[in-house]
Amino acid sequence: MLFLLHESASGLGLLEVIEADDVASGVEEAMLAQADFSRFTRMVRLKAFAPFSSAEHALENANAVSEGVITDYLREFVEANLPKPAGKPGSSKKTKTAADVDGAVELGVHDQKTAQALHDAVGASTGVAINADARSAELLRGVRCHFERLIDGLKAGDLAKAQLGLAHSYSRSKVKFNVNRSETGIL
Amino acid sequence: MPLQVSLLVDLSEKDRSRRHAVLCVFKVEYRVWNPFRSKIASAILGGIDNCHIVPGAKVLYLGAASGTTVSHVSDIVGPTGVVYAVEFSHRSGRDLVNLAKKRTNIVPIIEDARHPAKYRMLVSMVDVIFADVAQPDQSRIVALNAHSYLKVGGHFMISIKANCIDSTAEPAVVFAKEVKKLQEEKFRPAEQISLEPYERDHAVVVGSYRTVKKKA
Repeated sequence: MLFLLHESASGLGLLEVIEADDVASGVEEAMLAQADFSRFTRMVRLKAFAPFSSAEHALENANAVSEGVITDYLREFVEANLPKPAGKPGSSKKTKTAADVDGAVELGVHDQKTAQALHDAVGASTGVAINADARSAELLRGVRCHFERLIDGLKAGDLAKAQLGLAHSYSRSKVKFNVNRSETGIL
Repeated sequence: MPLQVSLLVDLSEKDRSRRHAVLCVFKVEYRVWNPFRSKIASAILGGIDNCHIVPGAKVLYLGAASGTTVSHVSDIVGPTGVVYAVEFSHRSGRDLVNLAKKRTNIVPIIEDARHPAKYRMLVSMVDVIFADVAQPDQSRIVALNAHSYLKVGGHFMISIKANCIDSTAEPAVVFAKEVKKLQEEKFRPAEQISLEPYERDHAVVVGSYRTVKKKA
C-alpha cells in the first residue's frame, strides 16, 4: 500500500493511493489524469486530515517542515493513521514493487530530508518504507492541485487565507531572527 | 486600493441627449511602471506576445527583491489572483513583507528559492512562474520550483542576465545554452526577446510547461 503525506497551511493530510500506474513516466495521459479532479480521486483518496489548532501551531509546524524536522504532532498523526506493515520491519524496499507485496506499507513525502527524519522517527520502528522518489513527487503534485477539494472541511479560498497568514508569520520570524546581521542600521 | 475602472454606458438609443450617461466612475490611480527597473515592464515594451500574467492568475515570483515589480504584478492579477513572492535576502525581504501588508494578494516568502521544499506549506499549484534570480544555476532553480508547483500546461517567464551565468561567453551563446537547459526540463520555450535598451545583455524567455498536445 502506498500512502502520501502532504503538509498544507491548514493542516496535515495523509492520502492513500488506490491505483497509480505510469504516473512517473511523464506520459501525457498520466499528466492529464493528475490534473483532472474526478480522475485523480479515482487514483488517490484522503485517509486522514489533522488541522492545525492555531496560527502558532501552524507556524511551529511550518518551521519544522522547512528544516526537515518532525514535530510530535506530525509523528503522532502518521503513527495513528498509517496501517502497520504485515511483514517484518525493514524488509520492504523502495522499489515500485514493494507496495504491491501484500502487507508492505510505503509513505511518499515531499523531500529527502523529511523522508530521512521520518524514517528515524517512525519508519525504523514500524517497518514503513519512507521515500521521496519521483513517483511520490508526481502524485503529490496532484495532491497539491486538488487538496482543498479533497478535504471536506475546507471551502474554496480557505487554503489561500491560511497560506497568507502563515507566510506572514513565517517570513516575519525569518526577518526578525536575523536582525543582528548586516542589515541593521538602515533608515 | 482605487479600482482602475470607469464605465460609460449608452442608456437609450432614442434620447440623444442622454446617450452617454455616466453610471459609475471609480477613482483611478495610475502608477508609473519603470521599464528600467522592471524586467517584466521592459519585456512588455520590448514587444513580448504574451506574458501570461493576467487577472486572476496565481503567480510564483522568484527573486522578488523589495517588491517593486511584485506590486505591479499584484495590480494585474487583482483580488482574485495571488502572487507568491519568494526572496532570500532579509534586507529586501523586510520591504517585501511590509508591501504584502498593504496588498493582500501577495504572499511573502522569505526563503531560498533553491530549496522549494522549504516553503511547501505556503504555496499552491500556480499558473505562472516568473524568475529573476540572476544565479548561474537559475534554470535548475526554476525547474525545481516548476516540478513542485507549476501546473500542467502552466507558463514560465525567465529573465536571463548573461553576465551572471558566464561572463566570458557571448550573450547570445549563453541565452541559447539556457534555452537548451530549459528544454531538457519539460519546458517549452516559445519566445525570447532582448531587453535592450533597458538592460544590457539580458533576455527574457517565455514558454509553457508540460504542454499536452491537443488530440486531432
